[in-house]
Amino acid sequence: MSSAQEEEPPVIELDNAEIVYDRNFLAVQGVSMEAERGDIVALLGPNGAGKSTILKMISGIGRSERGEVTRGSVYYEGEGVTNADTNEMVDRNVTHILEGRRVFEDLTVEENLRCGLYRGGRRVRYSKSDYDIAFEYFPQLEELLDTEAGYCSGGEQQMLVIARALIHRPNLLLLDEPSLGLAPKLVVDIYDTLREINREENITMIIADQNAKETLEIADYGYVLENGQVELHDPAGVLMDREEIKEFYLGTSSEESRYSEIRHYKIRKRWK
Amino acid sequence: MVDVGALFSVLVTGIGVGALYSLIAIGFSLIYKITGVLNFAQGQFALLGAFLVVTLSTSLPLWMFDVQVPVVAALILTVLIGAALGLLLERFVFRYFIGEPVLSVIIVTLAFLSIIDGGVRFFISSQYRAYPDALQPDWSVSLPFDTAVQAPFVLGVVLALLTVAGLMAFFRYTVMGSILRASASDQQAAMVLGVSIERTIVVAWALSIAITSIGGILLAMSSGGAGFTIGDVTILVFAAVVFGGLDSIPGAFIGGLVVGVLRQFGVYLEEFLMPGLDSVLPMVFLLVVIMVMPYGLFGTERIERL
Ligand SMILES: Nc1ncnc2c1ncn2[C@@H]1O[C@H](COP(=O)(O)OP(=O)(O)OP(=O)(O)O)[C@@H](O)[C@H]1O
Ligand SMILES: [Mg+2]
Repeated sequence: MSSAQEEEPPVIELDNAEIVYDRNFLAVQGVSMEAERGDIVALLGPNGAGKSTILKMISGIGRSERGEVTRGSVYYEGEGVTNADTNEMVDRNVTHILEGRRVFEDLTVEENLRCGLYRGGRRVRYSKSDYDIAFEYFPQLEELLDTEAGYCSGGEQQMLVIARALIHRPNLLLLDEPSLGLAPKLVVDIYDTLREINREENITMIIADQNAKETLEIADYGYVLENGQVELHDPAGVLMDREEIKEFYLGTSSEESRYSEIRHYKIRKRWK
Repeated sequence: MVDVGALFSVLVTGIGVGALYSLIAIGFSLIYKITGVLNFAQGQFALLGAFLVVTLSTSLPLWMFDVQVPVVAALILTVLIGAALGLLLERFVFRYFIGEPVLSVIIVTLAFLSIIDGGVRFFISSQYRAYPDALQPDWSVSLPFDTAVQAPFVLGVVLALLTVAGLMAFFRYTVMGSILRASASDQQAAMVLGVSIERTIVVAWALSIAITSIGGILLAMSSGGAGFTIGDVTILVFAAVVFGGLDSIPGAFIGGLVVGVLRQFGVYLEEFLMPGLDSVLPMVFLLVVIMVMPYGLFGTERIERL
């Protein structure tokens, strides 16, 4: 049993990938990373490091922004999916939660969830009743069903986009900045819920976030990106104890000082 | 002394004509709402419908073929051909413009304006075609002040109301409707949920051209036959949708009525003031709307990219 598991290919694997926008803007360079089945992988790094770009090229949505993997390869469960389009990745049960809480604002919460039930116009059916999985982890949503999503609070919107993705029953869930702009207490709640979903539903996750502490606390493995390259990677526990991470990502809690620390870090590194 | 009867008649006829503009305007808004394309060829689709129905129902040849079917069949066929045309346009043209700049898509629709106009002249007829009696219902509805509303206007008002109600119900209560609104609100977020953008574009174009064909046929009926001036309706439709808010279906409906009334009012004023007011008044209105209320009546998007 355990040997069979060892032979199983990773859910997603990037092999020396280079990602270019508009045929001329080099955003990611020589990145190799992987996510084992059932793991939560953290993708950390400052603004513009290339976190979103990597997620967008895995889900294929980056193609609609003229992004392209120009070197290296992407594998999904051992099969080549380099530059696959979004439809194909959705068919392979990859669901991407885009950066910035992209709810359908003028649709009600229920209509938002309903969109998770369809794939290319075909309805997907499951044994559990449709929205059960959403309400199980986010019971608050049940009372908001008739509310227009645009009027929900930031936290509710974040829950909604996660719930909408869960209804899709993904095998691999890509989350881009799920903690962006949320109160610290809410961030902890949402991350705890994500961990629970990961365990109970056996959904592999890649979480791109600047909130290194919370992300590493629930992650199994972590990659730190900078300028489109992997600077560090280690099991989450090890990464959390690394001096660089401690000093520049975990030292402070307020957002502003966190950003300025990061900038220092980059500048110092360059002069070393 | 104001002639109340004459003004009432202006209002009623204006609403009648306006309902026909509304149908075409609804077609325009539908495409804009779902695909973000400003279709400058909308009037040409109305023109195509108006000519198709007369060729199909009379002995007039359609290119090399002699087709003549009963009027009802011709009407249904025209609407179906309109829908099919929408399907083809998505498949062979607009699919390739997903995510491209607004301007290049506008230029494509301008090209279609000429292509359809030329196509009608080549394949159908290059002259005005009077409608046969079967296509000219001669009943009318009488209202106070000796005002009679002609059949095409009555049909227009009824059909426009039904279309608005039908579309609102479609968007509100059906799954396809939710999905169309979702992809209109955030295309990328819809794509990562597996919504097929191609499919939403097909639905938008097919519905739009079908509805617009009906408007074109009624416009032709109200003037006795199909002529190339029907294509000029685009600019009036523009005024209507800008007033209504570009992406709002009820807005397009109301905008159509307002433009219709303004037009009739212009016709009425011509007697006392100056000729040409019927085309000037709606355009002055268009300018004022753009300056004073850039979101239109019900719109969600600022009009600044026109
Ligand atoms: N659609 C695009 N077209 C061109 N360049 C892009 C595009 N999206 C991102 N970039 C560029 O690619 C680089 C990486 O951006 P990316 O969004 O992946 O960073 P990120 O790590 O997600 O940053 P953030 O924390 O700010 O979200 C940046 O220099 C950015 O300007
Ligand atoms: Mg990002």
